[in-house]
Amino acid sequence: MKRRVAVVMLALMVVAAGVIVMLPGTSYKAQDREAIMSGATAHHWVGTDDVGRDRGVRVAAAVLLGLGGAAAAAAITTAIAAAVGAAAAFSAPGVASVLMLASDLFLSLPWLFLLMMVRSFLPLTTSPLHSAVVTFSILAALGWPACARAVYRGTLNLRSSEWMIQGRASGLRNTQLMRRHVLPHLLPLLIPQFLICVPAFIVAEANLGTLGLGIAEPLPSWGAMLLELDNSASLALSHWVYLPVVVLVMVLLLLESLTAEV
Amino acid sequence: MNVRFGVRQVTALVSVIFGLVGACQMPSKGPGELAWAMRYDPKTFDPAKVDEQASEEVRFLTDGVLIRVNRRTQQPEPELAASWNVSRDGRMISFRLRQGLRFSDGSALTSRDVAWSLRRVLDPATAAPVADEFLAPQEVKVEAPDALTVKVHLPKRVIGIENVFDEIAIEPAERPSEGKVTSGPFTVVDYKRGQYVRLARNANYWRRDAAGVQLPYLTGIRLDVLNNREREISLFERGEYDLIDSLPPDYFGLLQKKNPRAVLDLGPSLNTEEMWFNQAPGAPLPDYEKAWFRNRAFRVAVSQAIHRADLARIAYDGHATPAYGFVSPANRAWHNDGLRFPHEDVAAAAQLLAGAGFHKSGSSLVDAGGHAVKFSILTNAGNAARLKIATLIQQDLAAIGMQVTVVALDFPALIDRLMHKQDYEACLLGLSNVEPDPNTQMNMWISSSPNHQWDPSEKTPATPWEAQIDKLMQEQGTALLQKNRKLAFDQVQQIVADEQPFIYLVYPNTLYALSPSLVGVEPSIFQPGLIWNIANVRRQGTK
Amino acid sequence: MRTVVLICRRLGRTLLLLALVAVGTILLMRFAPGYFSDSREMDAKYAQREQTELHQEEAKSGTFRQLAASTLGGWLHGDLGSSRQYGVSVMELVRPRLRVTAVLLVRGVVFGWLLALCTAFPLSVWRKARAVAGVPFTVLLAIPTGAMATLCLLADMGGPVLVLSLLLAARDFKFLQRLFDSAWTAPHLLQARAQGVRFDRLAAAHLLPNVTPQILGLATLSIVTALSAIVPIEVIFDVPGLGQLAWSAALNRDLPVLLTITLLMAAAVSCAGMIAPRDRMVQTA
Repeated sequence: MKRRVAVVMLALMVVAAGVIVMLPGTSYKAQDREAIMSGATAHHWVGTDDVGRDRGVRVAAAVLLGLGGAAAAAAITTAIAAAVGAAAAFSAPGVASVLMLASDLFLSLPWLFLLMMVRSFLPLTTSPLHSAVVTFSILAALGWPACARAVYRGTLNLRSSEWMIQGRASGLRNTQLMRRHVLPHLLPLLIPQFLICVPAFIVAEANLGTLGLGIAEPLPSWGAMLLELDNSASLALSHWVYLPVVVLVMVLLLLESLTAEV
Repeated sequence: MNVRFGVRQVTALVSVIFGLVGACQMPSKGPGELAWAMRYDPKTFDPAKVDEQASEEVRFLTDGVLIRVNRRTQQPEPELAASWNVSRDGRMISFRLRQGLRFSDGSALTSRDVAWSLRRVLDPATAAPVADEFLAPQEVKVEAPDALTVKVHLPKRVIGIENVFDEIAIEPAERPSEGKVTSGPFTVVDYKRGQYVRLARNANYWRRDAAGVQLPYLTGIRLDVLNNREREISLFERGEYDLIDSLPPDYFGLLQKKNPRAVLDLGPSLNTEEMWFNQAPGAPLPDYEKAWFRNRAFRVAVSQAIHRADLARIAYDGHATPAYGFVSPANRAWHNDGLRFPHEDVAAAAQLLAGAGFHKSGSSLVDAGGHAVKFSILTNAGNAARLKIATLIQQDLAAIGMQVTVVALDFPALIDRLMHKQDYEACLLGLSNVEPDPNTQMNMWISSSPNHQWDPSEKTPATPWEAQIDKLMQEQGTALLQKNRKLAFDQVQQIVADEQPFIYLVYPNTLYALSPSLVGVEPSIFQPGLIWNIANVRRQGTK
Repeated sequence: MRTVVLICRRLGRTLLLLALVAVGTILLMRFAPGYFSDSREMDAKYAQREQTELHQEEAKSGTFRQLAASTLGGWLHGDLGSSRQYGVSVMELVRPRLRVTAVLLVRGVVFGWLLALCTAFPLSVWRKARAVAGVPFTVLLAIPTGAMATLCLLADMGGPVLVLSLLLAARDFKFLQRLFDSAWTAPHLLQARAQGVRFDRLAAAHLLPNVTPQILGLATLSIVTALSAIVPIEVIFDVPGLGQLAWSAALNRDLPVLLTITLLMAAAVSCAGMIAPRDRMVQTA
């Protein structure tokens, strides 16, 4: 799919989601308690969830919230991985060792407990939106180590290539080399990392709900909707439970098309 | 680099592919064997040290006891003791053992073994949880005047003392074996941590059926350590598991559609789901919030705003009953049938709040000091029904202008906040009532107890009604006549309904899944509901 | 001599990492909420006893120094300490599970890579099929692990190895696809194709040697992903491995057990990081 088409479709999706959420008479939190896990009806075009809320409106709101949060967090974590990996590759061996040691340390520590501490410091009446921002920020801060090492290795390989030697010989500084030459060559590593992080963070946000973080009720959580799929009882009640995963696949395919020619 | 696919590589590939397909294999079940899941490993196989459900289940299945409480009638019945007698003053209980009792290894079971087992439980060094039931365990004296008689001398009367012996396993004297040598229907023969506990039939079990056939009928039991509901349901549907204790309500409907005979709804259990507000004066909350939570009108208004019928219907799929008191109607002996309680009435709730100085500012409720009524409800993660209840309550309270945040924490973090720091505003949890007798709830209602949830460890009762509850609970704990106990306990239930320190929401129903091929099961709402008479259970077509 | 120095340096690095991980784990777990809490405190029948035991434990090993000392003592003793939740030696818990997890990891990584390689490489050549052929991997990225497990159960096929393989294959495919795309457009390859070099010679002599270092770099990433994925997979499928034990230890604040498993994972991460060829010249576009 051409990039332009992908951009337009993604934009249309976001606008459509916004329109659905803003439509008068719709609400992502209003509970129609007489229509629990219902199928498509005149009032609820794609049915309702397990407490009677309109699934369509909730999916639309979740797309806006989840996509925004997860995409931003994925971009930040990829950028951190790129920065750390590239910085390590262009630094003295000692500094590189320290950075990679820090990266391994980050990978190995049980951050679950840090997340519990974060929750304990947050006021219990933290609004769902603030909780979501904190959650995605934490994911962004913790998601970079795995990719940083791969970026480091990739950059080391690039550092000794002919055109890099030529660039250095022609007087380019390290930052210029990194920006103009290294970064474009790291894109085959960074873009898949970004694309993998987006759905991973969406689901991770829902899993953090067990620690009191994540997107709290009544805000819709895309990850929580995806996690409904692990309950066979829900799967048996309504086929509309698959809607969030279908939308996510569409979004990921569009993002892939967007970045295909990069 | 040369890339070639030879025979060796293909074979390796195929064996890797075949390695994919197998799920983790459970050991297979024998023909006369039953299997079901327990959520986690038993913490101990020493019957004297049991303090959690998995160990209790193993103890129930393996260990012989003097008296067994019939879970259907709630009456104590003779087990290893052919008979017993409690003295008039309640301070001496004398047991007469059956003739010819043997342990599973063939050794004789006499009064010496009974006395040893009882003394071991009462010994402070053992730290047996059940010892506390004797009130002053170190002062209890046990004697065995002859091979079949045991006398237990108590320093003071204990109400319902017979039932306590249902939890005391009789082990071989001087040879505790952690379930391997038992006097009950089964013995522990194999244990793989994280996988299963395997029990085998005790060939020397004393009980026989009416036709003289020795019990148990089953050859063995396999208890799998499995904490995954999906897998448990799947294995039950495939016939690998024979029963599921405490079936979640959403899976009840799923199984019912496939086989209506395989599921049971026994109606309200003894358990309750409730929420309460933090009334501890030392809680790290703003004073105006403490003032809300200590205000009876506030608590009653919250209670009246909650639509309990919706909670039962939506969160439990109809498998729950709206609750207004802490004693379930299933507890027929102690339920206050004449309880008066605040009914659901949103208008009345609004009026109560207005009378208490609250008013609406836009869509938000504010107190007399202008503070918007915002608070959090803390609950534990991992309980889908409870989270649904919290979401429904959030909406119900929004209708009266209260802004509620729902926070789900993992259990240790939740307990830390509740029990150690009192750092919470409201909490939504369930109470598992294993026994119907009010004495088992002393710790919850006595104001000085650390389990007096809304205001733990009070030095003196904070309010007259809490003082009254203290007095009434002591009264029912010492009254000799059942009717006097009931009278006192009825009054406690009424005070709680009036003051709403706990806002009771629903009584979840007792839901089980049971293989239709089993015969002899007598399901009960009292734990262990499906296996309390395991010796009489068999599979159809086997004997 | 150089090899010896290299080995010593890598060993030293690993030991330093393990020391830092040990300190970090003890600090994080000890000071996270709920360390001295137990669900039995909520049970009126057992509450008093449980609270007494917890207070005694806190007095005995409440500070970081006391905890670190008792942990080190356990390691020196050889049994790696005693589990807080099971009351048995950590060695007894960990040893039987090590093999289970290792087998699961190896199978998952090998098959995941095979699937990813066998798909990404042909699709880099036959580009017309890639739009459609890549969709299943995108779908796999979107489905949470728990949902995959439920689907396996409902379909009565597959298991933890399949789910781990698919998880890794989906991620590896995304990287490999870009990698091969980029490699095919290298100038020397374009020239070789223009000169009519046969495909198999092109792939064997020019493409694969070029991408092998990067593939090995990705292998590190893949192993690290597999190590992270092992916990949810073992928990969901109830596999009696280290991941399941780690989760149980985390929920029950069982420091000796979690510390041992964390150190094992750290050692694995450190070893994974050593899978790398020496730097060499790489021709790229």
